[in-house]
Amino acid sequence: MKEILHRLCADKGISGSEDEMRGIIRELAGDIAGVRSLPLGSIAAEMGDPDAKKHIMLDAHIDRIGLIVTYIDDEGFIKAEPVGGIDLRTLAGNVVTVYGKEELTGVICTVPPHLSRDNKALTREAVWIDTALPVRQVRELVQQGDSVLVCSAYTELLGNKISCSALDNRAGCAVLIRCMQLLRDKELPCRLSVVFSSQEETHESGAETAAFILRPDEAVVIDAGYGRQQGVPKEKSGKLGSGSIISIAPSLSRGVTDKLIALARELNMASAYEVCGGKTGTNADKISVSAGGVRTGCISFPDKNMHTQTEMVSLDDLEKLSQLLALYVLEGGASHA
Amino acid sequence: MLDYELLEKLCRADGIAGREDEVRELILCEIGGHADSITIDNLGNILVFKKGARPAPKKLLISAHMDEVGFIVTYINDDGTLQFAPVGGINSSAVYSRRVRIGEHKIRGVVNTKPVHLTTGEERKEYPDITDYRIDIGADSREEAEAYIQVGDMITFDSIYEDRHGRIISKALDDRVGCLVLIELIKSELPFDMYFSFVVQEEIGLRGAKAAAFTIAPDSAIVVEGTTASDLPGIEGADRVCLMGGGAVVSLIDGSTIYDRDYYRTAMDYAAANGIKAQTKSKVAGGNDAGTIHVSRGGVRTAAVSVPCRYIHSASSIASKEDIEAVYQVVRGLAEAILGKEQDTAVHVQGTQS
Repeated sequence: MKEILHRLCADKGISGSEDEMRGIIRELAGDIAGVRSLPLGSIAAEMGDPDAKKHIMLDAHIDRIGLIVTYIDDEGFIKAEPVGGIDLRTLAGNVVTVYGKEELTGVICTVPPHLSRDNKALTREAVWIDTALPVRQVRELVQQGDSVLVCSAYTELLGNKISCSALDNRAGCAVLIRCMQLLRDKELPCRLSVVFSSQEETHESGAETAAFILRPDEAVVIDAGYGRQQGVPKEKSGKLGSGSIISIAPSLSRGVTDKLIALARELNMASAYEVCGGKTGTNADKISVSAGGVRTGCISFPDKNMHTQTEMVSLDDLEKLSQLLALYVLEGGASHA
Repeated sequence: MLDYELLEKLCRADGIAGREDEVRELILCEIGGHADSITIDNLGNILVFKKGARPAPKKLLISAHMDEVGFIVTYINDDGTLQFAPVGGINSSAVYSRRVRIGEHKIRGVVNTKPVHLTTGEERKEYPDITDYRIDIGADSREEAEAYIQVGDMITFDSIYEDRHGRIISKALDDRVGCLVLIELIKSELPFDMYFSFVVQEEIGLRGAKAAAFTIAPDSAIVVEGTTASDLPGIEGADRVCLMGGGAVVSLIDGSTIYDRDYYRTAMDYAAANGIKAQTKSKVAGGNDAGTIHVSRGGVRTAAVSVPCRYIHSASSIASKEDIEAVYQVVRGLAEAILGKEQDTAVHVQGTQS
């Protein structure tokens, strides 16, 4: 599990564009099963019996929050706007990579303390990146539309915990790869599609269209849930190391959810539950109503500091979650009497 | 070219005020065998004397500080997270959601932040107070944390070092650039005898320099520093203070010192005559060890030559190598000019004191 996650987080601090992610996933998943690309940039791996009655889909999104270059000024400063739910307070003074013709390191401009004693966050309109290069060079290397990501490095912490940016949802992808490894050479009672979907953080479009193409009967979405920490309500979060957080919501299939709960108990996982009154805010919302409708469940790994460069997960949780999903598939998913 | 591999080592070394050991060891390793006398005083300052080609007509001290801004562990919570206090002037924004390393064993940690999805619109507009931040090392309990961390442990930024396209991005450029300039001078042949000090505790009130200046008792001093450049979008004119790429910053006046006007002119003239870029600050801002050195004993004629650094006191300050080279040249030229003057008339600033 550690090797897979390390691979997905790449070695260096500067990493993580979606293309790079796709490349690594094609390699890791392609080792185990046949993979294909879908029109919006998702990747689907096929396992099991193609003629089986039941078709299960597992989904984790591969995209991450970031910024996009919108303008370059006369001094070479690059203006960028956030894509996805970014906490603007994480930006000022932080190191980013601009994915231009070459990867450029920059710092997000921040007003020094002697000019501003107030404690205000940047506004969306005031995000400037400083590469400290002459304007001519910046214009040669960077174009409007280039993507920008906050730098982070794969960092091992105490207690088998890992910190890195975009563990939401690189950790989810790692879980799916690990689950595929566990199912390799096993005879599956179903057809299995493992989907690494694009564009979750914006409109969940990758998973929606993948589900339409694949037409599964059942789907389980793996995403990041809130890790228990200061300022996060208990009823919305799970402790790191506890195993998983299972979503319970009117928009989800009760059958799939009950099966996930039963398997977690069987594996002695002290799972937490996140109960929503409506939708879940994950790919499950779109998958469940795709094509003629898909019975869908959602299970998460606890993730602290979500949507920052200091996200934190427990490797133990990811391993247990992979085992749970493998068991789900081996038992043919939920029964719908 | 200066030794930028050495600058990388200096910047990667961790040393907040009071815990400069790693930086001091590194410097001692570098200058050993290149000086005539090296002593470490009671506070941990390194005091160096090096003979030059000629004896100096008076005592010149060139000084840089070893410490960097950072934090100190103040309390270990029941849930294994750490409370901490800043050591030196650091904005809340520079700490929000950053990676850090803690203590002798360099345990990795992150500054926790409540997920953005759970914050209110008002919360998102402002940074919390530093006292509300918690560092998470992955420990689940106080007991687990205590096996690795003690109250009082040093915390520094766990950040990148990049040397590319002629500029450097790193923590602690303030004042490891100054340390680099001093080491390079000590390793070189000097025209006159000179004194050097690598001092402790600048960031918490210019404390090491006070002791060093007393012990060395110089007539003249040059402080080599990293200083704030704010030539950024939305900041115009005088508010830019000084410009990255604009060359060595020679100070006229700052928050704690009115500098020797003659030395200022000498430095600027030397730069102009030798085609070296130099500038002065367009705002009375900041301060450095000159504040305590120039009032040491009966008074010391003092200059400050600094590298303009953007985002100073953060995990990712930026400096241009061209500027660092300019600072080395100007410091060297100014030192030689100060000591080479046959008749050194004390031309003190007149009419600028309020």
